[in-house]
Amino acid sequence: MNSNAHNARTEQAEIDASAKWPVLVFLGSALLWLLLGGALQLAAAIQLHTPAFLSDCAWFTHGRLAPAAQNALVYGWGMNAAFAFGLWLMARLSATTLRHGGWLFVAAKFWNLGVTLGIGGILAGYSTSFELLEMPRFVTILLLVAYAIIGVWVVTTFSIRNTENVYASQWYLFGAAFWFPWLYTIAQVMLFHAPVRGVLQPVINVWYVHGLYGLWFAPIALAAIYYFLPKLLGKPISNYYLAPLAFWWLVASTAFAGGSRLIDAPVPVWIPTLGIVASMMLVLPLVILGLNFLGTLAGRYGSVGGSLTLRFIVLSIVGFFLSALLGLTLSLRSFAAIAQFTLLTGLRDWLLFYGCFSTAMFGAAYFFLPRLTGKEWRSTALVQAHFGATVLGIVLMTVGLAAAGWQQGHLLNDPAVKFAEITRALTGWHTFNSVVLGLLLVGHVAFLINFVWIACPFNSQGTPVAQINPPPALSLATKEGHA
Amino acid sequence: MKNGLILFLGVFAILAASWAGLLAAHRQIGSLAQFKDPIEETLNPQPLSGVANQGRLVYQDLGCVTCHSQQVRHEETGPDIKRGWGERGSYARDYIRDQTAFIGSSRLGPDLRNVGKRQPDAEYLYKLLYAPESTVAGEALAHGMPAYRFLFELRPLAGNQSSYKAVKLPASAGVAAGFEVVPTARAEALVAYLRNLQDNYDYPTERSLNAPAEHPKGEH
Repeated sequence: MNSNAHNARTEQAEIDASAKWPVLVFLGSALLWLLLGGALQLAAAIQLHTPAFLSDCAWFTHGRLAPAAQNALVYGWGMNAAFAFGLWLMARLSATTLRHGGWLFVAAKFWNLGVTLGIGGILAGYSTSFELLEMPRFVTILLLVAYAIIGVWVVTTFSIRNTENVYASQWYLFGAAFWFPWLYTIAQVMLFHAPVRGVLQPVINVWYVHGLYGLWFAPIALAAIYYFLPKLLGKPISNYYLAPLAFWWLVASTAFAGGSRLIDAPVPVWIPTLGIVASMMLVLPLVILGLNFLGTLAGRYGSVGGSLTLRFIVLSIVGFFLSALLGLTLSLRSFAAIAQFTLLTGLRDWLLFYGCFSTAMFGAAYFFLPRLTGKEWRSTALVQAHFGATVLGIVLMTVGLAAAGWQQGHLLNDPAVKFAEITRALTGWHTFNSVVLGLLLVGHVAFLINFVWIACPFNSQGTPVAQINPPPALSLATKEGHA
Repeated sequence: MKNGLILFLGVFAILAASWAGLLAAHRQIGSLAQFKDPIEETLNPQPLSGVANQGRLVYQDLGCVTCHSQQVRHEETGPDIKRGWGERGSYARDYIRDQTAFIGSSRLGPDLRNVGKRQPDAEYLYKLLYAPESTVAGEALAHGMPAYRFLFELRPLAGNQSSYKAVKLPASAGVAAGFEVVPTARAEALVAYLRNLQDNYDYPTERSLNAPAEHPKGEH
């Protein structure tokens, strides 16, 4: 057993070494985008309560700034972070090294070039005005070529795996690796290359948006949760035998649930109805995921505080369930009658993207960066600042957007209230949200500084990882995931 | 779950099935045609004029859809009609003339599907774009909509007569004496597009399809 554990350790070190540079490059780019996107997002939020802010420059008018911020966060931070984490985790769980990593640098170059041109394009006035597809057409090919390399690397790493079993995290990573390019290509072709007519365009748009959040970001976050919970708590996922059912049921429902964003829109009524039914079917996989995650955590809440990664992962679980529950309520017709078109719909996506996905990536980064670089985190204060800002930011943002959206919905539904009064009523909330976004940005700066310290090759301050205490009972996690 | 092939096929089948749903929607409404009024013999909806179509591109590149929707909910599902955003709910057929359908998902600003009907006055729209707070609605909007001054040209009069296109702004708009504000071609196109945004024709086919179900009489 002891020599087994020793072998596993050397093997892991070898895998980590092979993944080091691709992961660092992707994560480094991700963090730069996180900062830039956060700054743009803050500026766009300020414009909501101070419309004159930057409004005299066409490049920074709100209608361009807001989508540019959203795209920088989703394609710059989100996708790059997902690539870094996905490549590393797939290599670890498949117990094989990441080969020919040089190609991944090429992919990273192309991807980031594409996103840069895309964001510039939106600001310069080449936006397409389709949510999350605003980037001008000419960047599509760059992004797809870059993604092709990354996707192929994930899938081949999976197919040359040295393990008997395939663990839950791998299903989600494998699925996401296929779904993203498909969703993206179809949306591009059906919206821009052979455009469909009229209201079919928004139908395809919501299909893509819902798919991107539900079939790309959510699976990657779930892969992180499934991986880190048993590993750091030192016990297997409880009721693991239900996990395959949750996987299939969750993704099959999510794939059809996009229509629920079009309740009462001028589209054939079966589209939102199908979306509502599919959303309601999510209840079962949510219960199973609850059994899996909360069951594993049960009785171990005391040890959560001891691990930074675990704290972020628990935050991610909370974000996932909040977003899913909000998604369920938003697809009820009676609730949608109030919440449609308000800040509440934005909150659902924000909770999934930030509350669930981004926190999972933060947690993962705090776990793998010391192992990849062989150094320790330099500043505990910065780590604590990051975690504190994230927790506080998520709580305040959720409360702020929920209260604002609820109020907005009720005012919108009362025809006696003049529109201007609604705008005035929301101003206070918009100010509040700007402050929260500023707070989150502070946390991100703290994380970036720590990242630079740990990733910089010339930094001799770091100490080699001599003592990673293996969690007490890793046996089953090892058997399941071989990592 | 050990089998990679089953995983692959399942992953593939799920998205394929969902895509098939899109194709079904396309089959159903992908080729809706203009409706010919049997009496007036007009084709509806009418296509956008050339300059309005250019304005659609301005609307698109400025990202107006970030805050404005373009869809009127039907009487029984929302107060849009009571708010004066339209005389009837929107139908899928209304959008077939739009090369890009900006139905939108946020109402930080009012719905614009019928803004051309509410606000046919070009002068008013120019004022709203240049100095929102100088308009009647704008006084209250001062907290919401940004100004789009980059769509206008500030020209010194230098003793000449002011242009016939110059926007007549109140003093509160802050234009210095001896200057005039003239809309650029982009502003003109955008305003033409906004004035064109109106669904005037009520399609008999759609009206009957979207009518609320009648409650059976004689019960209770």
